[in-house]
Amino acid sequence: MNKTTSMKVSNLTVSPGPHRHSGASITGGSYDFLLALLPAVIMGICYYGFDAVRVISASIASAMIAEALIQKILKKPVTIADGSAAVSGLLLALILPANVPLYVIIVANFAGIIVGKQCFGGLGANPLNPALVGWAIVRITKTWADFLDFDLMLINYDTGFILQYPLAVLKAKGPSALSDFHLGALFLGQQTGGIGASAIVCLLAGGLYLIIRGTIRWEIPLCFIIGVTIISGVFWLANSTAYGNPMFHLLTGNVIIGAFFLCTDNASSPVNRWGMVAFGFGCGAMTIVLRAWSIYPDGVVFACLLMSLFVPLLDKLKAGQIVPQPVELPPVSGSVEERTA
Amino acid sequence: MSLSKEFTKGLWNELPPFRLVLGLCPVLAVTKSAETGLGMGLAVIFVLTCSNMLVSSLRNVIPRKVRIASFIVIIATFVVIVELTAQAYFYPIYEKLGIFIPLIVVNCIILGRAEAFASRNGVIPSALDGLGIGTGFTLSLTVLGGIREILGNGTIFGAEIMWSSFRPFTFMVEAPGAFLSLGLLLGIMNACSKSN
Repeated sequence: MNKTTSMKVSNLTVSPGPHRHSGASITGGSYDFLLALLPAVIMGICYYGFDAVRVISASIASAMIAEALIQKILKKPVTIADGSAAVSGLLLALILPANVPLYVIIVANFAGIIVGKQCFGGLGANPLNPALVGWAIVRITKTWADFLDFDLMLINYDTGFILQYPLAVLKAKGPSALSDFHLGALFLGQQTGGIGASAIVCLLAGGLYLIIRGTIRWEIPLCFIIGVTIISGVFWLANSTAYGNPMFHLLTGNVIIGAFFLCTDNASSPVNRWGMVAFGFGCGAMTIVLRAWSIYPDGVVFACLLMSLFVPLLDKLKAGQIVPQPVELPPVSGSVEERTA
Repeated sequence: MSLSKEFTKGLWNELPPFRLVLGLCPVLAVTKSAETGLGMGLAVIFVLTCSNMLVSSLRNVIPRKVRIASFIVIIATFVVIVELTAQAYFYPIYEKLGIFIPLIVVNCIILGRAEAFASRNGVIPSALDGLGIGTGFTLSLTVLGGIREILGNGTIFGAEIMWSSFRPFTFMVEAPGAFLSLGLLLGIMNACSKSN
C-alpha cells in the first residue's frame, strides 16, 4: 500500500466481507430506550395513578399515529414498528404534568413528529429531538403554557410530598425557601415535576443501563452533569443568597432525564467524542444560565434545542482528525490528448 | 400567449408567495388575520395594476440606466395614494397594517413585475398581469391569514366560529406560526403540482 495515501486510523479496520453483524439495530435501540424508561414510568404511575397511564398511552399512540399518517400521505414506507416514534412519544409524556389535556398531547406529538422529524426527512435526519420540538411549541404558546405549569396543574393530587415545583419555588422566592426540600427525598423522586422526569433514581438506573448496553455514549450525560455542576457552582459561590446550590440543581427539573434521554437522541447530537463533550457541557451550562436568568423555571429543553442547532459545527470538532497529506504525483509528460487517450 | 392566460397565470403557475416565493415579508407579517391579509392584498392589487400600466406605457421613454429609480418613483406614487386613502376611509385596517403599507414600495413582486413583464409588454397585457398576480397574492394572503386566525384566535374575519371551550393555539398568530404555516402550505402546493 502506498505510504502517502494510508490514513492514520488506529481503531478502524476496514476489511472485505463477509462481516459478522453485532445484532444492533434501530428497533433494538428503541426498545432499549423504552426498557430503560420503564422504572420511571412505573414510579410516575405510582404517584399519579390512572392519569399518568392516560398521558403516557395517549402520547405514545398519537406519536405513532402521526408518524404512520404522514408516511402514508408522503407515500413512504411506514416505519412505526422501529419504535422511534414510540420513544419520542414516551419521552414527551414523561416531561408533562399528569393531568395535561388530551388535545395538548396530540398537538404536541403531531407537531413534534411531523414538523420536527418527518419534514426534515424522518429518522436520522431530524436536526432537533421531536419530543422537545413538541414540548417547546406548546410552551411558547401563551394560552397553552399553563398546561405545562406543574404548580397550576398538579394542585389536586395527594402524593405525600410537597406539591410545589422546586424550581418554581427557587425562581419565585430564592434559595432561602428551599429548606423544605431534602436532597434525599428529591433523589428518590419525591418531588413535583413531570410524570417521569422527577423519578431521579429510576432515570439514573435506566441511563446506566443504556450506557452499559452501548445504546448511548457516556460522554454526553457525564459532560451534561459536569456542566450543570460547574456553572451552578459558579453562580452559587458568587451569590449563594440568589442562586441554588449545585446538588439542588442536579436533582430537580429535567436535568437527569435531559442528560441521559433527551439530548442523547442520535440524530440531534454530535458523532465525535470532543463534539459530544462540548455538546453535553454546553447543554448543562445553558440549562443553568436559563434557570438563572430566563422567565422559565427550568431550561433543560431549550438548552438541548439550542445546542442541537450547533451540532453541525460541533461535528467538526475531532480529536486526531485525519489531515489530508499532500500526495506527490509522478511527473506527467505529454499533452492532455495523449494522457486521456 | 393569449390575454386570458396573462391573468390566470398569477392564480396558480406564478402564484406570488408560493410559486415565485416573492414578497414574503408582508406574507409573514400581515397574515395574523384574514382581514389584514385581504386588506394588504387589495392594496397590492391596486398598486401592482396601476404601476404595471404606467411602467408599460412609459417603457419606451424611460432610459435603460435609470429604470429602477423610475419604477420606484412610479410605485411610490401609487403607494402614497393607497396609504392616504386607507388612512382616510379604512382607518382600523390602516392601523393594523401599519408600516407594511409604505413598505409596499419595496415589495419584490411589484418591482419584479415592472422589471420582468411591464417594461417589455404592452399596456393591456401588463394590466392583466398585474391584476392576475395581485389577485393570486390576495388569495394567498387571505387563505394563510384565515388558517392562522382560525387556529390562533378561533375567529375568521373577526367572527367566532370555534366551539366555546376552544382554547386558541396562539402559536399560530405569532412569528414561528407564520413560518411554519407558510412552509407547510408551500410543501402541500409543491406536492399537489407534482402529482398533477
